[in-house]
Amino acid sequence: MNKFLNWLDDRTGIRELMHEALFERIPGGARWRYVWGSTLVFTFSIQVITGLFLWTAYSPSAQTAWESVYYIQDIMYMGNIVRGIHHYSSSIMVVLMAIHLIQVIIDGAYKAPREINFWLGLILLQIVLALSLTGYLLPWDQKGYYATQVTTKIMGATPIIGPQLQELVQGGPAYGHHTLTRFFAMHAGVLPGLLMLFLGLHIYVFRRHGVTTPDPDRAPETTFWPDQVLKDGVACLGVLAVILGLAIFKGAELSGPANPSEAYSAARPEWYFLFLFRFLRFEVVEHIGAEYFGGLAFGAIYVPGALMGIITLMPIIAWWKGDGGHKFNLYFMWAISIGIGVLTGMAFYEDGKDVGHQAAIAEANRDAERVRELAKRPSKISIEGAGALLRDDPFTQGPRIFAKYCSSCHRYNGHNGRGRMVMEQIKVPDKNGKEVSRAVASIPTGADLGNFGGEGWWKSLLLDYENHVGGFSTIEESEMAAWSKDNREAMQDPKNADDVKAIYEYLASLSARGDREYAPKLVEKGRKIVTDDEFITVGEFASCTDCHDSLGEKFKVTGSGFGYPDIADYGSKPWLTAFILDPGSDQFYGEDNKMQAFKGKISDRDLDLLVRWMTGDYYETEVEDYESKVKELEKALEARKAK
Amino acid sequence: MDSASSDSTPTESPAQPADTAAAFEPPRRGFFVKFLAGALGIIVGAVPFVTGLLFFLDPLIRSGKGASNRNVLGGAEKDEDGFVNLKVSIDALPADGTPQAVKVHDDKVDAWNMFLNVEVGTVWLLRNKQGGVTAFNTVCPHLGCSVDYRQSNADFYCPCHQSAFGMDGGKLNQIPPRNMDQLEVKVKDDKNVWLKYQNFRGATPEKIAIS
Repeated sequence: MNKFLNWLDDRTGIRELMHEALFERIPGGARWRYVWGSTLVFTFSIQVITGLFLWTAYSPSAQTAWESVYYIQDIMYMGNIVRGIHHYSSSIMVVLMAIHLIQVIIDGAYKAPREINFWLGLILLQIVLALSLTGYLLPWDQKGYYATQVTTKIMGATPIIGPQLQELVQGGPAYGHHTLTRFFAMHAGVLPGLLMLFLGLHIYVFRRHGVTTPDPDRAPETTFWPDQVLKDGVACLGVLAVILGLAIFKGAELSGPANPSEAYSAARPEWYFLFLFRFLRFEVVEHIGAEYFGGLAFGAIYVPGALMGIITLMPIIAWWKGDGGHKFNLYFMWAISIGIGVLTGMAFYEDGKDVGHQAAIAEANRDAERVRELAKRPSKISIEGAGALLRDDPFTQGPRIFAKYCSSCHRYNGHNGRGRMVMEQIKVPDKNGKEVSRAVASIPTGADLGNFGGEGWWKSLLLDYENHVGGFSTIEESEMAAWSKDNREAMQDPKNADDVKAIYEYLASLSARGDREYAPKLVEKGRKIVTDDEFITVGEFASCTDCHDSLGEKFKVTGSGFGYPDIADYGSKPWLTAFILDPGSDQFYGEDNKMQAFKGKISDRDLDLLVRWMTGDYYETEVEDYESKVKELEKALEARKAK
Repeated sequence: MDSASSDSTPTESPAQPADTAAAFEPPRRGFFVKFLAGALGIIVGAVPFVTGLLFFLDPLIRSGKGASNRNVLGGAEKDEDGFVNLKVSIDALPADGTPQAVKVHDDKVDAWNMFLNVEVGTVWLLRNKQGGVTAFNTVCPHLGCSVDYRQSNADFYCPCHQSAFGMDGGKLNQIPPRNMDQLEVKVKDDKNVWLKYQNFRGATPEKIAIS
């Protein structure tokens, strides 16, 4: 072994190199406060290692980026852990970098003769931020896509070269394959290369001047190995524990596949850029830019650039006589730190309070879980990419179509189909009698379709028709409402409980929902009761077929009727499709109809997705649905009435 | 760690440790401190590396990625034994036993994608002496090139390494390790040719299916 080392040393000088690397002198002894630089080198090493492994599975193109990341995250062995480590290490790296920088400024380690190294450090800071930014887009999910759009738009606002710069970065006039290949080349090639180069210089210059020691007489002088290495190792272990904990218990997020035609209102940059995001939201920033100079570039480029410029000048500012320059730098640093902290806090606080933002996040999560569920089907992902899975999915599109076409009259479990309350502006007099507008819950004028065709639906329809359909002026004349009043007593008699249960089961079975099973015996009993073949135990009961004579038959679109809606196969796909297209046809409500006919107003595709969603005809899901807003709506409507 | 510093000569600056190394004796440390420092260094480096390595070994660790025999809407036509419909009638094959190259269409799983009804390979189909149909995979059992039919010699011939096979698939020289890979065929309704398409490991004397 020794012989080999001698041989190697003769040819490479490895011993001197190792000696220099390991036996750097540390006056005043090894200290915990010197660990931050090493933890940064360590997190960068983690990024290189996990990044290279992720590279073996990542595919940068608009149809495969999200798909390959999904495959890494959900299918490949340990993929979620490797991606989790890579994801959280980037956050941790930014945190460690902030600590490192703050410490350098507090200790005055940026002052002569270490100016150059301070600047090298600032370059490293920029490279790391650029790495985070480029990495954020690579999964090609909604979150990264929309957040990065903002960044490239800001680039486009750069004076003079903006538009060209933006197009170069994007690889074309819009986002696409080349945006990904370019971002990936930057993220995995150019930027890590530059980082290694500047890190080498940074460490070289650091070694030249040695560690900045506040009190060299604190302890006997020691060397990097093994005293400081031990402390660094413990610190790195701590950092690793935090990263692993986050990777295992929290996991890296993957929202739905990027879709330029699907607005993503929950878009936010990575948390450490939130302060910039919040800063740009100040109207005054926008105003100064628009009125005086810079436009968008004022808040997004000039102000951060100027602050960064002052940080860059810190070593020169420190030349001021006495301690004045250093003091200024310290105050400036704390001011910026507090500013960033406050802005970040504000962004989190405001988003937490923002009902719209929370609803957008909930929907984004619903989409993300759903698309990953669909991608795991045996039919997997088609060549078109995962976007098509959501686009063709009734469970995803149904609520959106409902919100667009139906929610001005109907509600779905109290909300608009997509988990949001339907609001409207009304004018109310304030204290001084002046009219002001206020947003209040809109009053639904149609039935809540949350449990359309199911047992609950029939219960509320049969027992309380008037309130079930809601809001119609002619409801008093409705024969169905009269039926509801006349038969309510019999329906609610405990002795009839079994019969009523059978009735509900039968009526619910008409929709033939694929996601629910029906008890055949109960269905048959129910069918006999509603068609007058059997009678209920106690009291009298006007059977359904007295008016709805086609009940029990197969539904056919005829367009004709006798003043009573055709309820054959009520709530089934063919029935609902025909009904939505023309509810005023004689086969349905005829002259009494209050609902608008959608024939020619909704595309066949949208109608199909809507109907399939409402009748439960979609790939089975375990994704949590939009939260019910029934109680919230009741409360809001009561409050509105009270006023 | 800082290899850059070795480029400069030690006498350049007094801050360089090399020329003061003789005067400064590094403090002696016990084995335990050195061991602990070294062990920690190895552990923190090993965790991301081993995790990544396991991730890289995914193809060996995870199994069951092949295509199923399910019929998918818009996909290839398959029966329960995994035979695909070649859409070739037995009458279309020359009666004299001249082979025909036929493309096989099947559903192909590729990581996250499922490609429906795409070309997955080619087979040689020919009428055998019993009047039935024989099928050979065109992939050479030697090293995987495509085996051609040579009309002039009435044999199968691989242009890469000169493997040659008779019309019954038997090898004619010592280059290939085994005969051509014959595939299972079903003739349905007395004329439609169905085939179980399989690939086999190359360069082995035994015929080992790749699942």
